Amino acid sequence: MATIAAPITDRPRVHRSILSPVATLARRRSQLTVRTPRELLVPLLTPVLFALVIAPALKEALHTSAAYESFIAVGTIGLLVPLNTMFAGLSVIVDRAAGAQRELLAAPVPRPALVFGNLGVAFAVTAFQIAALIVAAVARGIYFDATAGGIAWFLAASAMFTIGMYGAAETLASRVPEAEEYIARVPAIAIVPWFLGGSLFPISALPIGLAWLARFLPITHALALMRYGLLGETGGLHDIWGMASAQTMAWLSLVVVTAFAALLTAVSVRIFARSALR
Amino acid sequence: MSGPVRFSVSWGPTVRASARLAGFDVATEPLAARRISSVLFQDRVVDRPLTGRRNLEIHARLWGVPVRQIAGRLEEIVEAFTLAELIDRPVGTYSGGERRRLEIARALVSEPAVLFLDEPTVGLDPRIRLELLDVIARLRDRSEMTILLTTHYLDEAERLSDRIAVMRAGRIVASGSSGDLIAALGDQLLELRVHGDPGASLASLARAGIAGRDAFAVGSTLIVPARDRGADEARAAVASTGAEVLSAVQRRTTLDDVYLWLTGDDLVDAA
Repeated sequence: MATIAAPITDRPRVHRSILSPVATLARRRSQLTVRTPRELLVPLLTPVLFALVIAPALKEALHTSAAYESFIAVGTIGLLVPLNTMFAGLSVIVDRAAGAQRELLAAPVPRPALVFGNLGVAFAVTAFQIAALIVAAVARGIYFDATAGGIAWFLAASAMFTIGMYGAAETLASRVPEAEEYIARVPAIAIVPWFLGGSLFPISALPIGLAWLARFLPITHALALMRYGLLGETGGLHDIWGMASAQTMAWLSLVVVTAFAALLTAVSVRIFARSALR
Repeated sequence: MSGPVRFSVSWGPTVRASARLAGFDVATEPLAARRISSVLFQDRVVDRPLTGRRNLEIHARLWGVPVRQIAGRLEEIVEAFTLAELIDRPVGTYSGGERRRLEIARALVSEPAVLFLDEPTVGLDPRIRLELLDVIARLRDRSEMTILLTTHYLDEAERLSDRIAVMRAGRIVASGSSGDLIAALGDQLLELRVHGDPGASLASLARAGIAGRDAFAVGSTLIVPARDRGADEARAAVASTGAEVLSAVQRRTTLDDVYLWLTGDDLVDAA
């Protein structure tokens, strides 16, 4: 056994709580993020375009009702969350390649704290963007029929979906060595599921095989829950579960999205800790 | 990142090797081991968009420096490293030498018992390199901190180290003071540059009783511990085989010679 430096008698003060280092790391990440405005604004552009321009145009062209605009407005949140979390994941690669990640790895803090610090900021930025999208949609005249309970369902679905998608982004960032490789995989993770998950039309309109596949996508459950919460619309939940009780279906979908968040967070922490040893 | 420093930042249950750092088992007490140490990395490892002060504060907070002590600690370190004019600028605007000074200052904010310096002068211009060596030398003289320096520049090791370990393929093949290591080869060496097969020339020196098992060749240069034999004698032995001797000198042994001897192949055996 090698000994480097003589033993010291007074035991060093090590953080007993993970909260203090997580707060420091989150503050650091937020300071880096605000110095990179693209991380705040770019993910917002496409969903806002969808909600404010494309949805009204589709309504006119397809002669649908105002409800379709509301349907699309919620659907665009299903694009905003993956895009934003994927951008946040990109900053992990930047940190590794040209930032202070190794300094953080040498710090006397548990490795999960590094993931949770980034997650906290990704979560806050996504929340800000969702709020901005909804405010813009309301300003455009799009109508949401939300009760206090409905808002709770919406917030729970948005939160769990955001956490799960950030877990996917962090996992991918830990697995791929280069930013180019990361970006090449973003469409498969962030955009393809969005098209299949009931964002622009109900999944019942899909061919039967894809409709079954869509039932297993977390985004399908998240969007159905968000529409249930913000619009009082149960069609999405019914397309997944086929039950009579909206509450039961909502709880089941929330369990799915929560399990997705828990699983991807656990995987991301594990993969990050392993990648730190490389 | 060099092996020892990679090991230092990878402490945790997944590390198979066993080591104690200032009394803390790095596998079972990784946070305590990291708490009493700091690393100066070979490459740039800073948050470039943030100011120097913010980089130092983040280190202080993560290493558990009490919040009420951070401002005072930063004042001291900024003064000690003459960073006052830089400290509130984004690190991205720093020159290479300024950034290196900041990184050393950052490593010291937490007052570590052990400081890892991972090839700290790689890529620096000669002036900055010499300034940095002065900084490290002052640290070494003033504090009781243990400094573990990894380097391929053996003049740095000789100048800065009390104890030197030479590693080959991840294993320590020799350790001791600079004097101890040099003594293993002897104080004086014969250095011959030959035109022709260096292995055959080395073998001829061995047959003449001039080269022992500690003689070696690097390219066309033969290094032979002198041991009372002169350069002319060696030149004659090699020339007798028909090889052309371009130069033959006797000189003092350096740590570079020791390093080459310990990490190279034994061409006497090969011959």
